[in-house]
Amino acid sequence: MKERGWGSGVGGRGLMYLLAALAVVAALLPVYWLLTISLKTDLDQLSVPPKWFVFGPTLTHYHNAFVERSFGQYLITSAIVAVLSTICALVLGTLAAYALARFRLPHRLNTRLALWILSTRMFPPIVAAVPLFLLMSDLRLLDTTAALVITYTAFNLPFVVWMMRGFFKEIPRDLEEAALVDGDSRLGALRRVILPLVAPGLAATSVFCLIISWNEFLFALTLTQTDAAMTLPVGINGLVTQYKIEWGMMSAAGVVAMTPILVFALAVQRYLVRGLSLGAVKG
Amino acid sequence: MSIRRKLFRERALPYLLIAPTVAVLLALSIYPLIYAVKVSLQTESEGGVRWTFRNFTRLFSDEFFLSALKHTLVYASIALTVEFLLGLALAVLLNRSIRGRSFFRAALLVPMMLPPVVVGVIWRLMLNPRFGAVNGTLKGFGFNTEALAWTGSPKLAFASVILVDIWQWTPFMFLILLAGLQAIPEEPYEAARIDGSTPWQTFRHVTLPLLKPAILIALLLRTMDLLRIFDQIFILTEGGPGGATEPISLYIYRTAFRFGDFGYAAAMSFVLLILTNIISLLYIRLLQRQEDV
Repeated sequence: MKERGWGSGVGGRGLMYLLAALAVVAALLPVYWLLTISLKTDLDQLSVPPKWFVFGPTLTHYHNAFVERSFGQYLITSAIVAVLSTICALVLGTLAAYALARFRLPHRLNTRLALWILSTRMFPPIVAAVPLFLLMSDLRLLDTTAALVITYTAFNLPFVVWMMRGFFKEIPRDLEEAALVDGDSRLGALRRVILPLVAPGLAATSVFCLIISWNEFLFALTLTQTDAAMTLPVGINGLVTQYKIEWGMMSAAGVVAMTPILVFALAVQRYLVRGLSLGAVKG
Repeated sequence: MSIRRKLFRERALPYLLIAPTVAVLLALSIYPLIYAVKVSLQTESEGGVRWTFRNFTRLFSDEFFLSALKHTLVYASIALTVEFLLGLALAVLLNRSIRGRSFFRAALLVPMMLPPVVVGVIWRLMLNPRFGAVNGTLKGFGFNTEALAWTGSPKLAFASVILVDIWQWTPFMFLILLAGLQAIPEEPYEAARIDGSTPWQTFRHVTLPLLKPAILIALLLRTMDLLRIFDQIFILTEGGPGGATEPISLYIYRTAFRFGDFGYAAAMSFVLLILTNIISLLYIRLLQRQEDV
């Protein structure tokens, strides 16, 4: 890290730390508040001034949501859909990315295809939601996990292609040319030489896909209707009714929905900027 | 295997590898588009289905549509400006070695990785006028919070929705801009120092121009996301009160899935699609330039 710009003096440093601390509090306090609400009794939830630290914690809301109500099932559906769609997108997308990064196709087709693939990612989901709803209902896939897996695979594909294409391009060509000379086929070289080298990138990309699928709401909302295929976000939305909002259960389910995501996000910190910018900025 | 066959396989391989991806994307992006064109041009009348432009002409006189469009644009421009300025300020001030740096980064990435639905839940809890942490804390300091019905009054609800977006996405701007800052080499700064530039001059004439690619990428990606905003608002205010916070994607959703008017929803989708397309074309142009270098 280089020292440059403002606040090199002692006062400047102090101000900087103060600012950093404020930003951390602002980012984390609301999340902590959600956690406390999920652990509070109904009475403590309503107390004014709010109880930030001292209250008798209870797991009632977790029990209610995950044992009495169907949130355990939503959790399983969420996990299945996220894992399956990630695997599908990863397999298809990595192969395409390899071809786009390594072969020189005529008519600048590499770049053109790559950019077209990216442009499908820019599609606002609501534009696709209605036609997909009718397509899935024609295929009799409405309210099934299959509908979500297919949709999320398509949704994640452009992301995988762009991330993996970047990782492949960073590997020197000589390495696989050496393998090719040794008599490996193209795919053999990809499997034995290249894939192990891009393994960290592959891992990061798959974690991003898991996060994106796990967090998705709009398609899940439109393509599922019953407990059979509802994911956690849709289940949480179901707790807001016209007459009553189940604060405790809602926050308990919220905590469960966010925990794996936070663990995953910390695991891919190193690639975060790259993932967020679809590979355009290498952090 | 004959040499000819081997050569053919070598030629065909890249296409075989790309084909499945292209097929899936065609099926799930082109199909919806064609479908949307079709239903948006059809209206039902007594004589059966007729081909008309009614769904499109209706757009101009639909008060709800126009205000949803306005909400989306106002909302996007305010959130974008604040997030950019805040993120840039944070990135410039914190672009140096500080202790606890990795903890700091980890903490900041929390809001933007959260499921949007959970973000909506969190802020419903924070802003609840009766027992929410915001009003509760203000009351604790002796403020009168009766007028602060955050998501209950149209103006405050609009502000709340923007505030939540700023809370969630300022870290995104910060991280991308910080990465951009760190990619700037040391030499131009040394040159500026030798010339005796003030910090402001250095920022204006060295940092900003060199940061431009990162700035553009951050702004374009964020704009696209803001134009399609749905999840958080759906949970936080459901577009209310009285449609005061309804963005265009939520109105499209209601039109299609609550009122069952798929044709009109598709017509509105095109407006959103065109808006997003302008931004995404700019973004792709930008990437293309990077590729060509």
